[in-house]
Amino acid sequence: MTKISKDFIKTAKLCGIDHGLEQKGHFYVEKNKIVSEQMPKGIISQTRETIGGVVAEIIVQEGVKIKEPLFFCFGMKGKNDKQMIETRLILEEGAEIEILAHCSFPNAYKATHKMEAKYKIGKNAKLVYKEHHYHGTSSGILVMPKFKVEIGEGGVFMSDFVLSKGSVGQVGIEVEIELQKDAKSEINSKVFGKSEKDSISIIDKVTLRGDNSKSLVTMRAAAKDGGRVFMQGETYAFGANSVGHIDCQEIVSGEGSVAKAVPIVEVSNDEARITHEASVGKINQKELETLMTRGMNEEEATELIIEAMMR
Amino acid sequence: MLEVKNFSIASKENDLILLDNINFKVQKGEIHCILGKNGSGKTTVAYSIMGLDRYGKKEGKILFEGEDITNLEPYERAKKGITIAFQEPARFEGLRVCDFLRAGKKDATKTQMEKALDIVGLDPADFIDRSLDDKLSGGERKRIELASVMIMKPKLMILDEPDASLDIIVYNELYDIMLRMKEELGCSILLITHREEAGLIASGATLISKGKVMATGPFRCVMRKYCTSEGKRDRCIAFKKGTFSKPILIDSKK
Repeated sequence: MTKISKDFIKTAKLCGIDHGLEQKGHFYVEKNKIVSEQMPKGIISQTRETIGGVVAEIIVQEGVKIKEPLFFCFGMKGKNDKQMIETRLILEEGAEIEILAHCSFPNAYKATHKMEAKYKIGKNAKLVYKEHHYHGTSSGILVMPKFKVEIGEGGVFMSDFVLSKGSVGQVGIEVEIELQKDAKSEINSKVFGKSEKDSISIIDKVTLRGDNSKSLVTMRAAAKDGGRVFMQGETYAFGANSVGHIDCQEIVSGEGSVAKAVPIVEVSNDEARITHEASVGKINQKELETLMTRGMNEEEATELIIEAMMR
Repeated sequence: MLEVKNFSIASKENDLILLDNINFKVQKGEIHCILGKNGSGKTTVAYSIMGLDRYGKKEGKILFEGEDITNLEPYERAKKGITIAFQEPARFEGLRVCDFLRAGKKDATKTQMEKALDIVGLDPADFIDRSLDDKLSGGERKRIELASVMIMKPKLMILDEPDASLDIIVYNELYDIMLRMKEELGCSILLITHREEAGLIASGATLISKGKVMATGPFRCVMRKYCTSEGKRDRCIAFKKGTFSKPILIDSKK
């Protein structure tokens, strides 16, 4: 195992990793170089550096339940770095794992981070995937992650994507999930665009292929001082008794800010049901008034409401 | 402590007069009720004193401790010692009870927050880290609202129908909570209500009808006028005899 540099530790900590980086199961990448890798027992991994990036193929073996989270950290220190991450993750039948992924680009000025992830969750297997980003303060990055997730019978996929600290830059996230019989998915996205340099697009597409499959898509975004946010939640139901829900809330604050929500629901089985709710616009007046009667001015109250929603 | 002087306010939308030349005073340390039927203007009085931006043209003055606060923002009034517990408190996604309590007192210690929750009848261990969202019951949310105004240690606490939608056992407990809050803080309470049982704890009252003050003064006198105007002769007699002028413990088993 390579000794982890102090610079990398600093980068990772900016993104929220606060434990001893060498102590736990992990896979760390700095730009296009694998910094360190340590996989727990029951995981087979093949990782390699390529000309343009890094490829990781990881298999959690049948029935293996990893208790401690596995940490991914993808960092870039340079202002104009480019990074391409390809991950192939397979959870065999009955396997369980939680992955905490951190993407930290504190100095990004004209940098690019791209990711292509393909996750295959086997029968009755469970993947919890949490991804936290930190993009520095100059809004100078382009981030384009794409996730394709197949969930087998009885499998579970839960994911959180959070980008609420620092600036955003340009972010385009695409998630595509297909669920088989009795499978479940819950995906949450929280993004806060703070200036006119911040532009966010998130498209979450869920296909409820199998009977009794269930999905919940939760999207939360705030666009402030010229920030732009676009969120599209799509759910397609084919399986009998499949159930889906899309819940989208976007707050707009300040001149020039734009938020747009597009829910798409399509049901091709008369025993399936999908619901959606969306709220886009200014801060809830009742919440604002309540905090103002507690002594906060409008700006302070707005900050607190958005901060709470982004947790 | 508070004087509402020749105060009128109109609707933002169509200039309809909502409060018409109202006058009343709240003394220091007093529990003063604003009485009246639904739609009489009670909540408009409360929101006007708090300075919420919901109305149009206004005339007259609102004086607090002798200072004219008529044109101050709600947060400025809050900083001077006035706050309000809403009838239907807001729900906040992601905000925990402790965050909400700290919104009113940035440096609130855990002990102070626990004490406030305890006084309103909530187990601090169960509630301090709970989210202030739809999972709380209406009663729990109302109690947290009371704790949040209490922790600010206000000089004047406006409580907008905290007893609405509560059954008799609960509002009996609620009045006990109010007395404890008043005792703890030594503050005045402006209680917006249409429940005559508020006489168990109040000393003064103002009766509002169609945006006008019909009577103001000691609770019993105002209540007598209210009952007469409502044709509730039985209640009228009860007040004449003074049976509601002192606290009565309501037996919850009956």
